[in-house]
Amino acid sequence: MPRPPHFVFALLAAACALCLAPASRAQDTPYFVAYSHHLEEPGNLEVEFYTNYATQKAGNDFIAPWLEFEYGATAWWTTELYLDWQATFGQSALYTGMRWENRFRPLMREHWINPVLYVEFENTSGADKTLKEVVGFDNQSSDAVPNSIANHEHDHELETKLILSSDYKGWNISENFIGEKNLGHRPWEFGYAVGLSRPLALAASPEACNFCRENFVAGIEFYGGLGTSKHLTTSTTSHYAAPILQWQLPRGVSFSVSPGFGLNDDSHRLLLRWGVTYEFDGFGYRVRKLFQ
Amino acid sequence: MNRILIPALLLLASVAAAAAGADREKSRADDRGVLLPIAQAPLAAREWHNPYEGQPDALAAGKKLFLQHCAECHGTDARGKGHAVNLHLPGVQRATPGELVWFLRNGNLWRGMPSWSGLPVERRWQIVTYLKTLR
Repeated sequence: MPRPPHFVFALLAAACALCLAPASRAQDTPYFVAYSHHLEEPGNLEVEFYTNYATQKAGNDFIAPWLEFEYGATAWWTTELYLDWQATFGQSALYTGMRWENRFRPLMREHWINPVLYVEFENTSGADKTLKEVVGFDNQSSDAVPNSIANHEHDHELETKLILSSDYKGWNISENFIGEKNLGHRPWEFGYAVGLSRPLALAASPEACNFCRENFVAGIEFYGGLGTSKHLTTSTTSHYAAPILQWQLPRGVSFSVSPGFGLNDDSHRLLLRWGVTYEFDGFGYRVRKLFQ
Repeated sequence: MNRILIPALLLLASVAAAAAGADREKSRADDRGVLLPIAQAPLAAREWHNPYEGQPDALAAGKKLFLQHCAECHGTDARGKGHAVNLHLPGVQRATPGELVWFLRNGNLWRGMPSWSGLPVERRWQIVTYLKTLR
């Protein structure tokens, strides 16, 4: 009888570690697109399921879910794997690719502005519609290409971001400058994302509670494209404003929702995003123990 | 003879180990006995006053926050797990509340302690209120 491959054991071990791991509560900011300087706590694994629903001006509306596995490798390095899908109404549902993201904090102390360096490798198809960022001349018409055609385009891209983030009196302000390079012979594409958020109550209440104000974070984010290295511009690309509300439950679960509104004719009228996350404590430690 | 010698040797070894531990502890602490990563707080931070000092509600909130955010590494009894330090140690308890709240904001990223700047400062003071009851 053939032996199962090693990765099957690894998957089983990871599943066991997940079952054994208790949950904790992170200090995540609620953004869908922008990033702050708050990284995953070391050894913790956060599993996140998000969905992006968009209305199309020409073409069919679509829904694009993605799954994230976010792991705190160290206190200054977070690594993350994304798996993307989409379903376009009246067409088809398909898997559109994966992304592997890494975020590093180069400075070991807190400052007024805290930089984070972001590097991501994307292996997606042209049918990917998660819209995790807007770059170059991304606009709503590029999402109107039928799945049967768009799925034949394969994109291998390197995405970099400079994340600048500050905390002041309970507010978080994050600015992201995005540069994305298709590893074929295409120019650099640029984009931006800006986020602002604050918990509804700054101090915690003495009792455990689910619906108290301290568990809710409200905010807004703005994001859009900035053209390419050959033509830097804010026109003929899309821009969005998206209020956000996040509900953080004490036992490691959080729910987020964000209706995004297109700010020009090149944008989708509505991008409705929602998601749920769950954080597993000491995941890395438990996996290591299973192999010792 | 062995009945006396072996316990005596064990006692001597444990005293030596304790002394070595104390030396290590001392070498990682400043002249007040505060652990160096905490003692690196700016002098001004030492003087920061805890606005919640002595408030029972803040203490209860601090304990709740400790269990949500800190217990995973430091243990529910705060006595430390693995590399996470025992928070009952004099090296922690001798620090001023201001130093502790500064340390919670900055963390010690290179050594695995995350920055908790994402928590509003009010909640960090509540955690410090609880930590100061552990002495």
